[in-house]
Amino acid sequence: MELILFACAAALYVAATLAALVYLYLKNERVSILMYHLLVAGVVVHLASFGLRLELFWKIPENRYFAPISSFYGALSFLSLAVAVVFAVVEGRHRLGILGAFVLPWAAAGAVGAWWRALYMGGTEIHGLAPALQSYWMNIHPMVLMAAYAIFANAFGVGLALLVQEAQVKSRKPTELCYRLPAIEDLDDLNYRCIVTGFPVLTVGILMGGIWAYGAWGRFWGWDPKETWSLITALVYAAYLHMRSIGGWRGRKSVYMSMVGFACVLFTFIGVNFLSGLHGYLSSNG
Amino acid sequence: MIVLRGVSHKTCPVELRERLAARPAAEALSALREQGLAEAVVLSTCNRFEVYAAGDGDDPGEAVGRALEAWAGRPMGDAAYAKSGAAVVEHLFRVAGGLESLVVGEGEILGQVKTAYEAARQAQMTGKLTNVLFQRAAYVGKLVRSETAVAVGHTSVASVAVDLAERIFGSLHEKEVLILGAGEMAELTSRHLSSCKIGRLVVANRTYERGVELAARFHGEAVRWEEFPARLRTADIVIGSTGSDRPVVTRRTVEEALPSRMGRSLFFIDIAMPRDIEEAVNDLDHVYLYSLADLEGVVKDNVARRRGELEKAARLVETKAAEFAAWERTVGTGAEASLGHVRKTPRGGQGEKS
Repeated sequence: MELILFACAAALYVAATLAALVYLYLKNERVSILMYHLLVAGVVVHLASFGLRLELFWKIPENRYFAPISSFYGALSFLSLAVAVVFAVVEGRHRLGILGAFVLPWAAAGAVGAWWRALYMGGTEIHGLAPALQSYWMNIHPMVLMAAYAIFANAFGVGLALLVQEAQVKSRKPTELCYRLPAIEDLDDLNYRCIVTGFPVLTVGILMGGIWAYGAWGRFWGWDPKETWSLITALVYAAYLHMRSIGGWRGRKSVYMSMVGFACVLFTFIGVNFLSGLHGYLSSNG
Repeated sequence: MIVLRGVSHKTCPVELRERLAARPAAEALSALREQGLAEAVVLSTCNRFEVYAAGDGDDPGEAVGRALEAWAGRPMGDAAYAKSGAAVVEHLFRVAGGLESLVVGEGEILGQVKTAYEAARQAQMTGKLTNVLFQRAAYVGKLVRSETAVAVGHTSVASVAVDLAERIFGSLHEKEVLILGAGEMAELTSRHLSSCKIGRLVVANRTYERGVELAARFHGEAVRWEEFPARLRTADIVIGSTGSDRPVVTRRTVEEALPSRMGRSLFFIDIAMPRDIEEAVNDLDHVYLYSLADLEGVVKDNVARRRGELEKAARLVETKAAEFAAWERTVGTGAEASLGHVRKTPRGGQGEKS
């Protein structure tokens, strides 16, 4: 049941993404509104599925009151939920429906990826948490980091839109797309605001991990691949913020930098799992 | 039965249109009343002069035609068109939607249709048929513009330039515009810009006094010609309109200003002939250069795009005209069909009874 609901949520995200893409090419406000409704419906169904999973997860006493994100399926599902929610907030506040085409694919890909994995590779069965993970930090550390990832995914989408808009204006032959996308400077500003919000969240998340590690393993930092890569990610975004505020990097250049940051996020989230023992919920020995 | 007699830019030379349009609406309406017409609306714009009328007489069209010829002072011949019944409804919907306009989809006509109706209403020359028809026309006019792309994209060089500036900066509220030159083009541009909300207008001209004069007229600031390269550090939009036969803004000048701009966008609009701004400026990061030819290219694309939407818009108008015809047939039969939006008007409004 949980998986069926989750598949519905994934389908709704895909539908919202398609609506966003259609809106990109047809000037029709109703499609944009449809996209928003599909997205909100997706979030609601997703929350329901998450709630069901929570109930099952908490049936195991040692899991009680911890978030079910210790498996890759759980983590990816939660991440796509976060991306969808962050975008719903951004969209609700700025009414930039057009950005859906650049952000929602991430939510859809995350959800479909999680569903695919659950269907063909298993991983939805619920285990008791390893003793090291039975800590209140389990509810904070990964959540905070995934919130940061979701914000960065939005920043990435905004950055992509900026590149498109910049090329449009620069070409001197703007197509209709140019009139749909927000202004270059506004996109630049939004990209910056996402990252300036995401960066402290990421930093705090990493520090929390250190504190947890100190409690669990007796050391604050152990150069585990996940730790290393999250540090690299944080450094890239710090460099972005630095170059933007002091180096006068804006527009295309700073967007490239933020995209490098997002590539690091993806690698930290997915790639590193194959390397890391301690954070390896993908290799499912976490 | 509703009839239409009129002339437009498609059928009639401009002198005749001007002669017809010279007549104030109120006067035209009272003349039509004297002809025995109960309902009449006179739509008079630069490009068309049309009389929509309804009456019980043998042929309201005849009366309108006579009035038109009297005003024009000569027989109309092929210059005027005559329509009646459903064709009138479709025509008015097309006009309101901007499908009959010189520039397809232009927005002014919708306001003119409303004004024409309002004038008729005040002259007590409207009745049930014209009331519903013109309210419906205003609605269809809006619908056509929102449901199709006939009104998308600006169609004048000046508004395209402003639009592009907004694509770059978003709001132009706090933006600084630097105008190079103080000639006729500079003046036109300043006038256009002062109607948009911009932060500050700065004029740099070789003859300082003329720059001061122009700046004073548009509440701007004048700077000496030698100072303009320094102004490139703060300006957001630069308009080249000098009479110089060589570019006055070179790639080097811009490059020197860039470091202190901290990556803010810089938009050059070159409306000078020959050009004022070196082409290579567009290769710089955060710098966008549009020449007059580029802007004209955008206008041409926009006009073409609007034309491409004509068929879709025409289909929409046809549907709406058919709806109206169905309503008209039911009037007076006691089982009046609903027209959707008409029902939404507040109940108990006595305004229409006049």
